[in-house]
Amino acid sequence: MAAAIGDEPPLADAPLADAAAIRRAMEYYAGRDWTDGLPVVPVTESYLAEFLAQTGRDPDEVVLSMPHLNRQCTVRLAAINAGLAGCRPEYFPVVLAAWDSLRAEGYAGRAIWQSTTGTAPFLLVNGPVRGRIGMNAAGNVFGSGFRANATIGRAIRLTAINAFGLRPHQLDQATQGTPAKYTACIAENEEESPWPPLHADHGLDPSDSAVTAMIIRSCIHIEARHTTVPEQLALDLAGTISRTGALIHETISALVVLGPEHARVLAGAGWSKADLSRFIYDHAVRSRAELAAVGKDAIARQTRWRLPADHPDAIPDQAEMDGNPHRVRVLNSPGAVLVAVAGANNAGVSAVIETFGPRGGPPAVVRVEDERGTT
Amino acid sequence: MADGILLERAGVPAVSICTDSFLAPARAMAKVYGFPGFEFVTVPHPLASLDGAQIQARARDVLPGVLRILGPES
Repeated sequence: MAAAIGDEPPLADAPLADAAAIRRAMEYYAGRDWTDGLPVVPVTESYLAEFLAQTGRDPDEVVLSMPHLNRQCTVRLAAINAGLAGCRPEYFPVVLAAWDSLRAEGYAGRAIWQSTTGTAPFLLVNGPVRGRIGMNAAGNVFGSGFRANATIGRAIRLTAINAFGLRPHQLDQATQGTPAKYTACIAENEEESPWPPLHADHGLDPSDSAVTAMIIRSCIHIEARHTTVPEQLALDLAGTISRTGALIHETISALVVLGPEHARVLAGAGWSKADLSRFIYDHAVRSRAELAAVGKDAIARQTRWRLPADHPDAIPDQAEMDGNPHRVRVLNSPGAVLVAVAGANNAGVSAVIETFGPRGGPPAVVRVEDERGTT
Repeated sequence: MADGILLERAGVPAVSICTDSFLAPARAMAKVYGFPGFEFVTVPHPLASLDGAQIQARARDVLPGVLRILGPES
């Protein structure tokens, strides 16, 4: 167990360095706005080379383009920002896989991080790399305290700021944003999950390591500590997913992150992850009257965003067209709900991560290169 | 903003319109597109929650600014 500051004579074995020089370096980066507001780690050419040595890719290879800004992130820029974020060089293959996954996911390249919506990148890491670099999959999994989680997530956001210029009050027009914009990176608790890990559900071998990136809006916790009835728990999840406040588009999507205790309630009753997704799809429903009460009972002709039925641009939503107009599904398919397991096995607590867009297709699961730079 | 600049560069007269809440990002976008002096007009925020009559009022208010930038021959 690590000692707390104050337990020992302070700084007894700290490296000797000129604190004023360190502060000058920190202020240099802050003064150039190459930061999310927190201090960054200085990156020299030699330190950058340690990151680039972790991959077989050309430093000039593009990992993500934003054509509307005429800006690109290369392997080199991704490495510089991983260094600034506080990553150790051996985390870099995970950062690269995150960029590959964001490129495959699609929204990041299409101006979503400039939107008033205020979304954040979110990364789910699977496989043996979790243990190799010390990622947290258990207690406080959405919280602070673990360098790999904290800095890999931060590397993505710093790149958005520094390589793409998406600074708040400038090109980032988020109305409120989300605390997840500082960093949002978790590992799946595969060891305490009763099911195969998420990357194995989507064609990879469990011995592979993988990153699955999503664009997220909110992280909402589900308290259900005493239930052992799978339907009760699943209805609690469906009720949270179908909250009307989340409905900007006609339908929404989510990643359900079950605590191990909840996963075992479901698996113990014979439910698979697909069974849970199907149940939630069938029960994440709002009545037409409930939607009318909040002015979201129709959709706009062009954008298909929800608005009141008496709005001049309003057209009927899909539920209206399907012949069951009073029972409106908020998900387009069972695939719009992904399921993973993370957190400590110590209470009946789970979370719904609201992901951006209707989704429903396969998630952007990307394999992490091994140390030799091959996949 | 990008659409307005790209249309102008393609030879199509265009005027970008945004609400005053987007003044800073609009200017930043014009700079990204290498046109920091690009002229556009703003209307008071908000827009999305207005009714038809209010939208028409906004359009009437903004029209002189649009015509000034377009510079039509009288």
